[in-house]
Amino acid sequence: MLKQDIAWCPGCGDFPIRSTLEKVLNELPIPGQDIVLTSGIGQAAKMPHYLPYSYFNGLHGRSLPLAVGVKLARPDLTVIAVSGDGCQYGEGGNHFIHTIRRRLDITILACDNKVYALTKGQSSPTTDQEMKNALDPAGNLNLPFNPLAVAILVGAPFVARTFAGNPQHMESVLREAILFKGTSVVDILQPCVSFNKVNTYPWYRERVYTLEEPLKERLKAIRTAQEWGDRIPIGIFWRDEQFVCREGKDTFRKPVTEDAVARLLNTKCIMMR
Amino acid sequence: MEFNVLIGGEAGQGMFSVELELTEILSRLGYRFFATKNYMSRIRGGHNFHMVRVADRPVHALSGRPWDMVIAMDSGEAERRHRPSLGESGVFIGADRVGQIEAEAKGSFQDVTATSTILVGLILAFIGANPAAVREAATDETVRSALAKGRDFAARWELAARMPIAPNKVDHCKLDGNQALALGALLGGCQFVAGYPMTPATSILHYFATVAAEIPVHFEQAEDEIAALNMALGASYAGLRSMVATSGGGFALMTEAVSLAGMTETPIVIIDAQRPGPATGLPTRTEQGDLNFVLHAGHGEFPRVIFAPGSIEEAIALARRAFDVADRWQVPVFILTDQYLADSVQIMEGRVPTKMLRRDYPVFEAGYRRYEITDDGVSPLTYPGLSEARVEVDSDEHTEDGKITEDLDLRVRMVEKRLRKLEGLHRETVMPSRFGDQKAKTILISWGSNRLIVNEAVEALQDEGIAVASVHFGQVWPLTPKMARGLSRKRLICIENNATGQFAQLLRRELGLKVAQRILKYNGECFTVAELVEQVKKIIS
Repeated sequence: MLKQDIAWCPGCGDFPIRSTLEKVLNELPIPGQDIVLTSGIGQAAKMPHYLPYSYFNGLHGRSLPLAVGVKLARPDLTVIAVSGDGCQYGEGGNHFIHTIRRRLDITILACDNKVYALTKGQSSPTTDQEMKNALDPAGNLNLPFNPLAVAILVGAPFVARTFAGNPQHMESVLREAILFKGTSVVDILQPCVSFNKVNTYPWYRERVYTLEEPLKERLKAIRTAQEWGDRIPIGIFWRDEQFVCREGKDTFRKPVTEDAVARLLNTKCIMMR
Repeated sequence: MEFNVLIGGEAGQGMFSVELELTEILSRLGYRFFATKNYMSRIRGGHNFHMVRVADRPVHALSGRPWDMVIAMDSGEAERRHRPSLGESGVFIGADRVGQIEAEAKGSFQDVTATSTILVGLILAFIGANPAAVREAATDETVRSALAKGRDFAARWELAARMPIAPNKVDHCKLDGNQALALGALLGGCQFVAGYPMTPATSILHYFATVAAEIPVHFEQAEDEIAALNMALGASYAGLRSMVATSGGGFALMTEAVSLAGMTETPIVIIDAQRPGPATGLPTRTEQGDLNFVLHAGHGEFPRVIFAPGSIEEAIALARRAFDVADRWQVPVFILTDQYLADSVQIMEGRVPTKMLRRDYPVFEAGYRRYEITDDGVSPLTYPGLSEARVEVDSDEHTEDGKITEDLDLRVRMVEKRLRKLEGLHRETVMPSRFGDQKAKTILISWGSNRLIVNEAVEALQDEGIAVASVHFGQVWPLTPKMARGLSRKRLICIENNATGQFAQLLRRELGLKVAQRILKYNGECFTVAELVEQVKKIIS
C-alpha cells in the first residue's frame, strides 16, 4: 500500500476491490512495469492512484478509448480499464459496446455501486427502478442497464460478476479475467455506504449465489445474466475459449524508414473525402 | 499560355474519373497544372464540376478567367450553368459530342467508363501533347487505345493543338492537400492515427489505412470522435507519435479531450479540415470558419500551437514540424486546412523531402516524476514499460508525480509550469511568408489555403502597375510581435474564407494591427485570382 490520502469513505466497497486488485496484480506472471491502468472519473476511477502501476486517469467515460489506444500502440503491455458504473456504462456507454467489438486483450472492470457517488447519490445506469434520490424525487423511472447481458450479446468472450464483500471470489475472478486472452468484462457489486441505502453488504449477502462454472451456451449465459432480485448470481457467466483475439501491431520503437516513405510517394490520389 | 477546362455533370457521371485520369497523365507527361472540384454531398445526381488549369508556368489557383473548354456530361444543367462563362473562342463539348464518345466507348471497349479516358485523350490533343509521349505514359493497352480515340475525336472536330502548351521536364510530384498533410505527418514520425470518417478529412484517414499495410503505423476507426482523440492520447501516452483528423463537427466532439491533452501534457497533433458550418453546414464545400473555435477549444487554460499551411510544400513541412513541436513542448498542435486545399491537386516541383524526424525513448529510474516542475515548463517525458519508472498521468490537477491533488499552492505552480511553455513556443514561431515588393503601401494578408491565390493576384496587380504585396501566416497561434514587423504602417487588406474576418480580429487583439479592409467569401467556394484582383482594385481605387 502506498502512502496516499485515500478519498473514499470509510467502509467503501472500493477498499476491498483495491486490496484484492493489488494482490492479484502483484501475483501475476507479468512484471509490474508492464501493467497500465486507465480510468475515467468518479470514486472508483481514483483506483489507479492507490496502486503501484503506471496509469492514465483520463476523463469521465473515457477509460476505454484510452485503454484501446494504449493496447494498440503497445501490445506488450497488460491493460486494465477500471472505473465505476456511471463512467463505464453511462457516459462511456458507447465506448463499452464498441471496445468489446474491437476484440483486444483488455480487461474492463466496473466497480458497480449502482449510484453516482462522487456527485452525491443520483441515479446511475444500473440504479434499480423506483429508487428515490435528489434528481429522481419520484423514484428512478428508467430500466436498469444490464452490463453482463449486453457484454455477452455484443461479443465479449469473458464476462463475469463478483462481489466486493467476497474477496476470495473477487480474487479468482479478477485473476482469470486479467489472464484471459481477449476482452474480459467484470462487473463488481460494490456497496456504497454513503449514498445507496438499499444495495448494502447485508442485502447482497442474502442474495448472492456462486455459479460453479461458466454457462455452456451464450443464450443461457444471457438468461442467467438477467437474474436479479431475490437471487443474484456471481461468477463467470460466459467464457469463450474459441475466441480469436486481435493482435496489435509491433510499432513501438520501430520508426518508419526514409526508404519506405520514398516508396509511398506514389500512393494514389484517393477518391474518398 | 494556359488552358482552363471545366468538366460538369451529375454525381456518378464520371467527371471525377476525368480529373483523376487527366491529372495523373499530365503529371507523368511533366505538365504544370492545378485541379480542384466543386461537388455536392451526394453519391448520385445533383451537379458537380471539376476544374483543371494547365499552364507553361507553375499555377496553384483557379484563374477565374473564362473557360477554354467546358465539357457537359449531363443533359442540360452543366450547359446552363457553365456555358455562359465559356470564353469567346472556347470550345463547348455538350451532350451530342459526349454521346458520340460514349458510343465509341461502348462500341470499341464494351465499357462506358472508357468515356473518361477518351475525353482525357481529347484534352491532351487540344493542348498539343506529344502523341508518342502520351502513348508511353499510358498504363496499359486499353488506356493507350482510348487516349488515341480521343485524339481522333479532336482531329475530327478540328480541336487538335488548339492551345499548345509545353510540358516542363523538371522533377515533380502530384499531391492533393490531404496527401501532403499525411506525408508530412509520416515524416514527422506519426505512427498512430485514429478517426471517424468526415468530409473533407476522410482521405487523410484513408491514406493511413492504406499505408498501414506496408509500414509500422496503425490506423483505427473509432466509434466517434470522442473515442478517436482519446485513443490517440492513449497511444501517445504509450509511446507513439499520434494524430487525429476530422472536420469542425467532429472536432466539436473532441474538445473535452483537447483539454485533457492540455492538462496531461500528452503530445498530440489534430487536423481540422474545415468546411462551412454551423452544424452540418455545407459538407463538401470550403470555409475558414473554425479559427476561433480551434483557438479556444477545450475548457481551462493551456498552451497550444496552430498551423495553417498555404501550399503543398508548406502542408508537408508544417505537418512534419507539428509532431516535433507537440513532442518537445508536450502540447496539442493543430493544423487548420479546408476542403479547398484538401481537394486541390497540385504539382510540387523539385524533390519531395523524405527526411524523417525521430523521437527519443529516455529511460528513467524508479521515482521518475512525469510532471517535474522545470524552468521551461517541460517535464521529462517517457513511456510505460521501459523501466521501473511509473508513468502516472492524471486529468485532475496533480502533483509532480501525477497524483490527484487539491493543494492550491501546488495548483498555482502547475498552472504556471504549463503556461511557461508559451515563452518557448513564442521563441520558435514560424514566421509569415512575404511575397511581392514589400515596399508597397498595400499588403494583402492571408492565412491557410488562400496563400497562393493571393500571391497570383499580387502578380497580376503588379503587372497592371498596381503596387501591392502579400503576407501569409502559416502559423496563426501563437502570434508574436516579430511576425508583424513592418506591417503597422501599411494599409492591410485581410482575405479570408469566412463571414466575420476572424483572423483580422485576432491580428488586432494580439498584435494591435488594424486591418483597413477585409475581403471575405463564405458561399462555400474558394477565391479565384480574377475575383481577388477585381475586389482589390475596387478597394484601392
